[in-house]
Amino acid sequence: MTVNTRRFTAMTAFLGAGALALTACGSGGESPGAASAEPTETADAAQTADAEASGSLTVWADANRAEVLADVATDFEADTGIAVEIVQQDFEEIRDQFVSQVPTGEGPDIAVGAHDWLGVLVDNGVVAPVELGDAAEDFEQIAVDAWTYEGQTYGLPYSIENIALLRNTELAPEAPADFEEMIEMGEEAGTEYPFLVGLDPNESDPYHLYPFQTSFGAPVFGTADDGSYDSTELAMGDAGGEDFAAWLAEQGEAGVLNLNIDGDLAQESFNDGSAPFFLTGPWNVTAAQEAGIDVAVDPIPAAGDQPAQPFAGVQGFFLSSQSENVLAASNFLVNYVGTAEVQTALYETGGRAPALSESFEEALGEDEIVAGFGEVGAEAVPMPAIPEMGAVWDDWGASQAAIIKGDGDPVELWQKMSEDIAAAID
Amino acid sequence: MLTSTTTRADARALDGRRARRTAETASLGWKLLLLKITVLGLLNAASVYAAMVLFFNERWLIGTLVVVTGALITWIYFQRGALPAKYLAPGVTFLLIFQVFVILYSGYVAFTNYGTGHNSTKEHAIHAIMLQTQDRVPDSPTYPLTVVERSGELAFAVTAQEGEVLVGSADAPLEAIDGALVEEGRIVDVPGHTVLSFTELMERQQELSTLAVPLDEDPNAGALRTQDGQRAYVYTSRFVYDESSDTMTNTESGETYTDGGEGAFVTESGEQLMPGWRVNVGLDNFVRAITEESIRGPLLYVTAWTFAFAFLSVASTFVLGLFLAIVFNDPRMRSRRYYRLVMILPYAFPGFLSALVWAGMMNQEFGFINSVLFGGAAIPWLSDPWLAKLSILIVNLWLGFPYMFLVCTGALQSIPEELTEAAQMDGARPFQAFRQIKFPLLLVSIAPLLISSFAFNFNNFNLVYMLTGGGPRDIEAGINVGSTDILISMVYKVAFVGAQSDYGLASAFSILIFFIVGTISVIAFRRTRALEELN
Amino acid sequence: MGESQPQRTSMSGRSFRRWFVQIGWRHLVGLAVVVFAAFPLVYVFSASLNPGGTLITANTLFGNLSLQSYVDLFNRPQQPFAAWYLNTLFIGFTASAGSVLLGALAAYAFSRMRFTGRRLGLIGIVLVQMFPQLLAMVAIFLLMLSIGEIFPAIGLNSQIGLIMVYLGGALGVNTYLMYGFFNTIPTSIDEAARIDGAGHARIFFTIILPLVSPILAVVALLSLVATLSEFVIASVLLRDPEKQTLAVGLYQFISQETSQNWSVFAAGAVLAAIIPVVLFLALQRYIVSGLVAGSVK
Repeated sequence: MTVNTRRFTAMTAFLGAGALALTACGSGGESPGAASAEPTETADAAQTADAEASGSLTVWADANRAEVLADVATDFEADTGIAVEIVQQDFEEIRDQFVSQVPTGEGPDIAVGAHDWLGVLVDNGVVAPVELGDAAEDFEQIAVDAWTYEGQTYGLPYSIENIALLRNTELAPEAPADFEEMIEMGEEAGTEYPFLVGLDPNESDPYHLYPFQTSFGAPVFGTADDGSYDSTELAMGDAGGEDFAAWLAEQGEAGVLNLNIDGDLAQESFNDGSAPFFLTGPWNVTAAQEAGIDVAVDPIPAAGDQPAQPFAGVQGFFLSSQSENVLAASNFLVNYVGTAEVQTALYETGGRAPALSESFEEALGEDEIVAGFGEVGAEAVPMPAIPEMGAVWDDWGASQAAIIKGDGDPVELWQKMSEDIAAAID
Repeated sequence: MLTSTTTRADARALDGRRARRTAETASLGWKLLLLKITVLGLLNAASVYAAMVLFFNERWLIGTLVVVTGALITWIYFQRGALPAKYLAPGVTFLLIFQVFVILYSGYVAFTNYGTGHNSTKEHAIHAIMLQTQDRVPDSPTYPLTVVERSGELAFAVTAQEGEVLVGSADAPLEAIDGALVEEGRIVDVPGHTVLSFTELMERQQELSTLAVPLDEDPNAGALRTQDGQRAYVYTSRFVYDESSDTMTNTESGETYTDGGEGAFVTESGEQLMPGWRVNVGLDNFVRAITEESIRGPLLYVTAWTFAFAFLSVASTFVLGLFLAIVFNDPRMRSRRYYRLVMILPYAFPGFLSALVWAGMMNQEFGFINSVLFGGAAIPWLSDPWLAKLSILIVNLWLGFPYMFLVCTGALQSIPEELTEAAQMDGARPFQAFRQIKFPLLLVSIAPLLISSFAFNFNNFNLVYMLTGGGPRDIEAGINVGSTDILISMVYKVAFVGAQSDYGLASAFSILIFFIVGTISVIAFRRTRALEELN
Repeated sequence: MGESQPQRTSMSGRSFRRWFVQIGWRHLVGLAVVVFAAFPLVYVFSASLNPGGTLITANTLFGNLSLQSYVDLFNRPQQPFAAWYLNTLFIGFTASAGSVLLGALAAYAFSRMRFTGRRLGLIGIVLVQMFPQLLAMVAIFLLMLSIGEIFPAIGLNSQIGLIMVYLGGALGVNTYLMYGFFNTIPTSIDEAARIDGAGHARIFFTIILPLVSPILAVVALLSLVATLSEFVIASVLLRDPEKQTLAVGLYQFISQETSQNWSVFAAGAVLAAIIPVVLFLALQRYIVSGLVAGSVK
């Protein structure tokens, strides 16, 4: 068994590490969305049906989502007689398992996921479009956009996630207007670091640094007529990108961007009051508040002369293309999961802005933190979902790390990266 | 051959006495027989059942295999000879099913285009294309829907915007119908039709989900479809599949896609329609594996490091493990059990956690190693090409030495102590006695494990990926290969991280690497045979 | 274990030097190894006592001492830690016992019998395990899927099925390890028993197995540790949270997008490590007692 052990762990690592890598850039993956209630009327219709329909649904969800869905599933079964089996899966594993299991007939009818998986899911033919119908208008525009791939909507969005600037109000009473001001304020605060963002020594973190990049007018891709990405046009190699590269090198030299501070360390340092500012997502807020920090959420200060737009990630539920229970599954999604009640419940467990507009507004009104992220999210753009993003993140991050470390001329490195990425996408 | 290491007469006499005594006390013959009959009976019952199910589903090959295996095992245990087979059969059966099959399957995958976009069967691909290319007509209204049935055929009854009720089925376009009863915006009764209950809908959901009711006689006007049985929308199909000619036609551009034999529908100009499906592609993957640009460039460098890494990992863990096994094998030493206990801890801990902890400790600025042990030095453990190599070896030593320690301790136990004592009495120094007498004996039992450990480290994707991700990467190279990448992690990047997953290519690489490692191992085994014969 | 040796307090300088040359230095080596082996793990332990903290920078060890994470571990309905623990014990011990048995049977055949293909078989079983398992999961999943269609009890989502997959690796290196050990048991023992009329099965089970118990203990421990830390196959084959194993479950704590559960994860890992430690304690007598020397001589 020894060899086995090792073999198994090797596999583990490979899947696990993949997952970790994803966490690094993908954890940002959800962004602001909107949700609204639509379903009550249809839910009633279903309720009138007699409660003994045959069949059952299988739903894959991660532990957090599973909890909420279990309640929805009970309602659904009571109303329709269709049992819903919630299978708990590791979030980061769902995509790959879904791709490999759906063709065998073992996959679920519905799974939860992030919108940036869409490229892979669609290219593999494992997802079916979800017709939101008029309900689409009840969701935040960005949430539906994110789940739209090549003109089709593939999921029922439920939460939107993006990064914003967390501020320790004791150390910095005012929100900074731009990056320079933030650093000045940070230095005045006299803390160990003026500003924190989690990076990686070899891979930097293009996701977290993206708002600064966009503030130099260097979005990753050009935009097509319908507002979606035109992935054939890599836009970040332009002049704006070069300015951003030069800025990265400067900040690296000044020690403002420190590759040795990873996400966990940044979180810990912010929580013990070692910095007034922390660029991160809603997932780190609870811990900061528990640590006794009075947190405010501010817009991300621009480093260049344009607005700083972060990436948005939208989580949602999608349908298997091989599902034999399409009718039941879309009923469950559109008429149950899409309700304000469920969207709010999901928000309450996950802490991320709901995608349904009604719940979104409600959450915004109730909670300053969510409102803060929501406001920044209004500026956000969905993360690209093309299947080649894996390669793009890799090249992007490694080059950023080299530039921040000062390994060579920033502009040359940036241009080299753009060429490599353009070649990888082709 | 390799038999007794002690040939002293008194030992033999002792053996004889001991064996005789045991033989007298044990007479379990009939119990064993009963056990044998029961186990084999159950096994045969199971295999017959499995074969029946398989035959019933017309899976003749596997069914036959099951029957043959069952019969073979029964034969092995119910005849007098074939003693080795009796001992080997259980383990080998599991080995064949769960390991050999896996290799054969990967071998098979290596000859296919399995990967992103070629993930399933042609049937599934067509189904998915049809699903993905149903475009809802822009700005078309939502039709509140009631599903009805007439002589077993499903039909849609919808309310048009003006309030009139329309009925249509797959063959009959929508037509107004009089006398339908509408309550609270829903159609509850349609003359000549039966309204289906929710339960009935669920029973026929497959049929319903493929039902398209033409809007009118003009096929280009689109068709009503429903996903939830309560609302219908107008869709046009961007693609039409023609079964007889096996072609896909784009209704907008009029272009025709044919099955080009490469697992996807393609136009004449070579444009592919995704998703495709799995097909056999012959040696294509192997050709690509050998000619792949991103592999060929750094191949020599990565191969050299892979060998160095595997060799150094085995050598370091073995030397440390053996040294410790010897140190703690002295019965005069107190508290050995506690030392041993702590030593197995690295091995007992979940590996992924250990790698993460080490990565944290090796952080250039904040890690324990730099900030505490080296008093705040900024040693780039994981981001300098050479230090990263060293770090990976150190961590692998930490992870691997307990295994070698255990194995060496076990093996040392098998070597009679008096051999060394005799040598020492003859005037040999302890180290000499060890090197000349115990060590060769030890190697006989350990050498195969070292070879296998080498093979394992050759493919130690786990550690490389968790600790450094192959990095630090040489940004100038333009290829995503870092200075700690070994062959398998480079293959992983080429086959999975690049554009898309390519299981076919990855399998081809796996097979090639298997041949490399296998060849080296067979050569090494030949040398251990020489060792064995020392004995 | 053999204990002996003089009291340090009553030792003269000369005998201390002798003690040190023979024994004392071993303690120094032991201490060095203990530090090397344990210090990353001390981090983990420290993190488990520091709820809400992270793992990476616990440079101030044991700055906080709270058992909260251990309590939390057992109070998560979606993550039934107690069930995982029991599952792991069941799967680990069954698979480990099975591996030892299958491996020992095969090692006995290779060591004592001469048959065609013996040499080839020995190399073959090790070679088979050298295949880079980059793609094993797809094949194993499909295989278990088909088995499950016929015998649902041992197919997907079944712990027995998982154990069977683990047993597929029962031969291999462990057989080699045992084979080497079997070879050191003189064949004269078998011969004598055979002359006395004992059958091959009786010789194997009642005479040989007790003699090779040290290596059986080593293999049992190696197998158990293997099963404990395996999580890829387990996570694909076992779906219900109540059926999963510790490794799969624990990984969930940290693989979620937000890494807030480091402390709980560390607590779980510490508890998980108790299994191999206890087993090692239980088996240590066999592993290191020099039993063979005593019985063979």
